[in-house]
Amino acid sequence: MPTLTVDQVDARILKGGSCRSQEVVDAGFAAGDSVIALNINPATHTRLPRYIRGKRGTVAFDHGVFVFPDTLAERQGEQPQHCYSVCFTFQELWGPQASAIDCLYIDMFESYIEHIEGAQP
Amino acid sequence: MSRHGHNHSPSPSQLSLRVKALESLLVEKGYFESAALDRIVETFEHKVGPRNGAKVIAKAWVDPAYKQRLLADSTAAIAELGYSGAQGEDMVVVENTPTVHNLVVCTLCSCYPWPTLGLPPTWYKMPPFRSRAVIDPRGLLKDEFDLEIAANVQLRVWDSNAELRYLVMPMRPAGTEGYSEEQLAELVTRDSMIGVGLALAATA
Repeated sequence: MPTLTVDQVDARILKGGSCRSQEVVDAGFAAGDSVIALNINPATHTRLPRYIRGKRGTVAFDHGVFVFPDTLAERQGEQPQHCYSVCFTFQELWGPQASAIDCLYIDMFESYIEHIEGAQP
Repeated sequence: MSRHGHNHSPSPSQLSLRVKALESLLVEKGYFESAALDRIVETFEHKVGPRNGAKVIAKAWVDPAYKQRLLADSTAAIAELGYSGAQGEDMVVVENTPTVHNLVVCTLCSCYPWPTLGLPPTWYKMPPFRSRAVIDPRGLLKDEFDLEIAANVQLRVWDSNAELRYLVMPMRPAGTEGYSEEQLAELVTRDSMIGVGLALAATA
């Protein structure tokens, strides 16, 4: 590992590096789509928290195309894909005793969600 | 600094010893130049911190066109004021209104918008905050931050689990009509931009 120098500090902190991808990738989802988060349990790196798996939500908006951390962490490539802000109601997450108006927004990569069959957008 | 009534961290002396040991190791093993470490510390002590975010919010309060740009393309609008870089490459600003209150958390670790808020406070990184923010955010805000969200106000919790970083635009306090942008920025606290607090009340 090369030694970090003063000049590199400025570049890394003040410039940073976006994980946004310039690749053109089709979006499988759009705002308003009803989706379900996959119930997957990878032993490797993932940004899909356990409390979201299997829950139903609605796509709020599309953030655009980002590299996929799950594969990048395993050195299996960037697999650029859309990342969506998905809204889950508190009652969906925590049951009928939870707030009827509160909601949670979380960023879901294309690989984490699928359409709910028969759902009307 | 803990708001939970008990300590989650080692005492300062243990902590500073650990930091010194880590610093020595990083330099001796050749990972960092000593000056590079100083530069990192200097950057986060003097250049990067919540006063940056406060300037963004104050500008949005006084400049409707800027506010529109900030909500439409947060990253670009924040960069207009010169704030960009690591952990702020892709920003989303969410606006509090009389009917919506926003709260930001990273349940997976401690993701936080560095260019506008600096480094996260200790409690933000701790499991008690991270878990309760999504399970019982109203109870968390009331018990730990003395912030009661009215029952008819929708609470929106933003889990910054991926690559986007979130900044809350608190509501402009009442009675600040004659305030300059600089005076307004003084009212914008770090906590209000995480969503665990509100902007400070007008002083006049």
